[in-house]
Amino acid sequence: MVVTMAPAVSLPRASSSKTESYVDNKRKEDIRMANIVAARAVADAVRTSLGPRGMDKMISAASGEVIITNDGATILNKMEVLQPAAKMLVELSKSQDATAGDGTTTVVVIAGALLKHCLTLLSNGIHPTVISDSLHKAATKAVEVLTAMAVPVELSDRESLVKSASTSLNSKVVSQYSTLLAPLAVDAVLSVVDPAKPDQVDLRDIKIVKKLGGTVDDTELVKGLVFDKKVSHAAGGLTRMENAKIAVIQFQISPPKTDIEQSIIVSDYAQMDRILKEERQYILGMIKKIKATGCNVLLIQKSILRDAVTDLSLHYLAKAKILVVKDVERDEIEFITKTLNCLPIANIEHFRAEKMGYADLVEEVPVGDGKLVKITGIKDMGRTATVVVRGSNQLVLDEAERSLHDALCVVRCLVNKRFLIAGGGAPEIELSRQLGAWAKVLHGMEGYCVRSFAEALEVIPYTLAENAGLNPIAIVTELRNRHAQGEINAGINVRKGQITNILEENVVQPLLVSTSAISLATECVRMILKIDDIVTVR
Amino acid sequence: MAVDRIFKDEASEEKGDRARMASFIGAMAIADLVKTTLGPKGMDKILQSTGRGRAVMVTNDGATILKSLHIDNPAAKVLVASDISKVQDDEVGDGTTSVVVLAGELLREAEKLVAAKIHPMTIISGYRMAAECARKALLQKVVDNKEDDDKFKSDLMKIAMTTLSSKILSQDKEHFAKLAVDAVLRLKFLVNGTASGWAQRFLVEEVSYPGPDALSCCFTSAFFFPIDQGSTNLESIQIIKKPGGSLKDSFLDEGFILDKKIGIGQPKRIENAKILVANTAMDTDKVKIYGARVRVDSMSRVAEIEGAEKEKMREKVQKIIAHGINCFVNRQLIYNFPEELFADAGILAIEHADFDGIERLALVTGGEIASTFDNPESVKLGHCKLIEEIMIGEDKLIHFSGVELGQACTIVLRGASHHVLDEAERSLHDALCVLSQTVNDSRVLLGGGWPEMVMAKEVDELARKTPGKKSHAIEAFSRALVAIPTIIADNAGLDSAELVAQLRAEHQKEGCTAGIDVISGSVGDMAQRGISEAFKVKQAVLLSATEAAEMILRVDEIITCAPRQRENRM
Repeated sequence: MVVTMAPAVSLPRASSSKTESYVDNKRKEDIRMANIVAARAVADAVRTSLGPRGMDKMISAASGEVIITNDGATILNKMEVLQPAAKMLVELSKSQDATAGDGTTTVVVIAGALLKHCLTLLSNGIHPTVISDSLHKAATKAVEVLTAMAVPVELSDRESLVKSASTSLNSKVVSQYSTLLAPLAVDAVLSVVDPAKPDQVDLRDIKIVKKLGGTVDDTELVKGLVFDKKVSHAAGGLTRMENAKIAVIQFQISPPKTDIEQSIIVSDYAQMDRILKEERQYILGMIKKIKATGCNVLLIQKSILRDAVTDLSLHYLAKAKILVVKDVERDEIEFITKTLNCLPIANIEHFRAEKMGYADLVEEVPVGDGKLVKITGIKDMGRTATVVVRGSNQLVLDEAERSLHDALCVVRCLVNKRFLIAGGGAPEIELSRQLGAWAKVLHGMEGYCVRSFAEALEVIPYTLAENAGLNPIAIVTELRNRHAQGEINAGINVRKGQITNILEENVVQPLLVSTSAISLATECVRMILKIDDIVTVR
Repeated sequence: MAVDRIFKDEASEEKGDRARMASFIGAMAIADLVKTTLGPKGMDKILQSTGRGRAVMVTNDGATILKSLHIDNPAAKVLVASDISKVQDDEVGDGTTSVVVLAGELLREAEKLVAAKIHPMTIISGYRMAAECARKALLQKVVDNKEDDDKFKSDLMKIAMTTLSSKILSQDKEHFAKLAVDAVLRLKFLVNGTASGWAQRFLVEEVSYPGPDALSCCFTSAFFFPIDQGSTNLESIQIIKKPGGSLKDSFLDEGFILDKKIGIGQPKRIENAKILVANTAMDTDKVKIYGARVRVDSMSRVAEIEGAEKEKMREKVQKIIAHGINCFVNRQLIYNFPEELFADAGILAIEHADFDGIERLALVTGGEIASTFDNPESVKLGHCKLIEEIMIGEDKLIHFSGVELGQACTIVLRGASHHVLDEAERSLHDALCVLSQTVNDSRVLLGGGWPEMVMAKEVDELARKTPGKKSHAIEAFSRALVAIPTIIADNAGLDSAELVAQLRAEHQKEGCTAGIDVISGSVGDMAQRGISEAFKVKQAVLLSATEAAEMILRVDEIITCAPRQRENRM
């Protein structure tokens, strides 16, 4: 190494000495150190939650709320860090969440390890920009290596998709339910893929409804719509409707109200009677119009200005045998109309049959201590899906939702970029090996920095083994050995506590998760390295 | 007879040397602060806000750092707040750090001269002579490739890459340089309508400077403005930031992107769109008198009024539809009812577009923002070939392609986090500004400390020819110029003393193109490495820095007024 470095140093540099151009850099070094130390502290905090045997964190928020989670992004989000560099790691985890949805812990752990190695490089007197440039090169190369390792996957290959979803779920609290949740996530995503745009999935087309009670086992994918609401009904109202004709309305069935302030002046008792009668007449008129179109289920948008329905109108609606769900949020309207394949109706005058959607069954189902409204058998259903998540307590329920979100993201990644890669630390070790070999052919500082990058990547298998209670050094060295012999898919099998071909163990993850973790972590580390001062501004 | 008190309570006064020292030290402290960000191996700063949320910003952009600083020292304020760095950022877009650093160095040299009992006015006149001489030296060396399109384009690429190489985008500088050059070249053929606006604006600025400053401003404007004839209207280049992906995924899009949603049940794709851009309330037109209310005596009357209100809304929508449009973009909310009416008419309606968004949209589609709809013939509609929904990252955006104003384009920036994106936007903005300046004034210089060395050499010559005390000041000017390559080398962790000496020796040869090559850490041929800078930027740096130094040098008394009347303009 030293021999190759010498010719790269050009003549003027050879004569450079420390005495001549002395610049006082103490403060800058201190700030850089402080930044790195703070960022590493953040990375260390989440390190133990990596992998299938990773531990969870309990976070008690200022409001008294308690969260138990294993999801890196959530942990970091709730940690109120103040140090600016530490904040950047939190941001990093968020970006990974946005790009890939999974691997939020991995990305932070990699960044932490890279920073640790940078510290050594810096103390060797290498200029931060040189380190930064070399890291960038190494990351680009790493992505190439990963892409070469990846196995293409077809969307029709449901089994592979399920495998990768279960890899993601295995590290979560809900891992014992991965056999249920993984296929569920795959089905949900596949059902919203638009054949016209096969590489895009909008996760907003998948609605997750959380309902307390039961166990995670009861989680189900509903082909249709689910509202976490009761059917609004007065005595004798309907709670079940077959052959439903559904209208989504954005007006209210209640006494009229104008935008301009109004008051009704009542001068005698008879007039009051008349007004009451008129009110009844008004509502009855509306309901008759609705009934005339054949509509028998109404979804009413929430209104802040006036009541969506009154007791009176509910009574009439019940008589007209119309089922009502009220307080539908405006944000949800798009999702609902897309699912039901109908159009929202904003005025009674526009109430026409062609704007309605059709479904075989609308019913209120008692779930746990609450109730849900389910719409199933929708005619010409749009490409959406709804998942009802159940859990025995709020903590489990929230964590189940987060885990499911991660699993959905994993499947989405596969739809975007149809390549799979082995899990269990195999890609990291392989990267470390190949980059290490590459570093040997590079000249000068670059080679040195790339080698550190390669070493830093070993943190993933090391941590995996450590968290699983295995001997990390033994495991990592054996892993290295196996990879050197050409078994590129050898990884840590945490269940068996040994090294096996991880592809055979069905531990796979999307390529996008690994590549984005590497490139995002590198980008963040480079940014932290380049900072030499913290300036307080207004 | 002694005057007890001239000033109010709490007002203070510093005189003579003390005042001069205070202002020198303040200005130099600012220069030292931003010094380390100079050059391709310059470092970044974290700006930590003391305000709510303690927001964090990471930046390398001198202008941004200076803008956000708390400064108490009046001389330092001259460098930062009032004009120098700000003018540089607004007019030229780049070189803010260089201005401040050069001004700082000039003052550092001046301090020594003052200590050697040379009158500040002598220093100033020496500096003026030196600046003029340096400018001439630069003018002799400029390369103008205006005639040759290919060469001109490669010049632009080089300039963009040089600007970007000191920023966060340095790794993907080729990609971004290409983005910026493409975007600016689209602008090149813009109708020449903004130049007069510029001149006007400058006139106004000039008037607002009292006393000797106005003189120096004219002095600058003589150099600035005869050249400024083309368009520097960067408004039709829109930059959208979307977190996620990596910087490399950023792209240039021909057309306009609006970060909004299309109403429910409306077409998601329109060809040959006729667009009406409006700023109007779509709810009922209310009587604007406070407390207005209607009194009725029965429920059915209330219903009637409600009906009438609805009818009014419908009428308005009908009027809008009567314009023969198929896309309606409103600055304010479109409520459910009008939305449904639009959906029924098959019109794409976009509500709540932000103010910037509609202004730009009106500009690029060639429409006008309307707020009344009674005379369809007088409203200018916007046109575009295709409107569709596209997905970037996780978000859906509306894309207008084939717009009227052909040069309009959108740069979509992608990056790991908000920090990266914000910084990328600032860097790109700098590059765009410099490029658009270069498109107008295509004179180009080499970079990497080359221009400074060329100037220093000429200034040195001048010093030798000039008799009298002035020559000391001229010599000092040359030393200050050499400080720039020295700092660039220092920032890269190189041995600056050695390198600068070598560089100086190289420059004694005729037609030398040597500069500091930070990457290999040696003196290198700048023409070969393709490191170029715009003449305009260099000239502005030179002149603004000299002026700033001059202004601060002239000070011999600082009067700090009592806190209430804080408006002291130095």
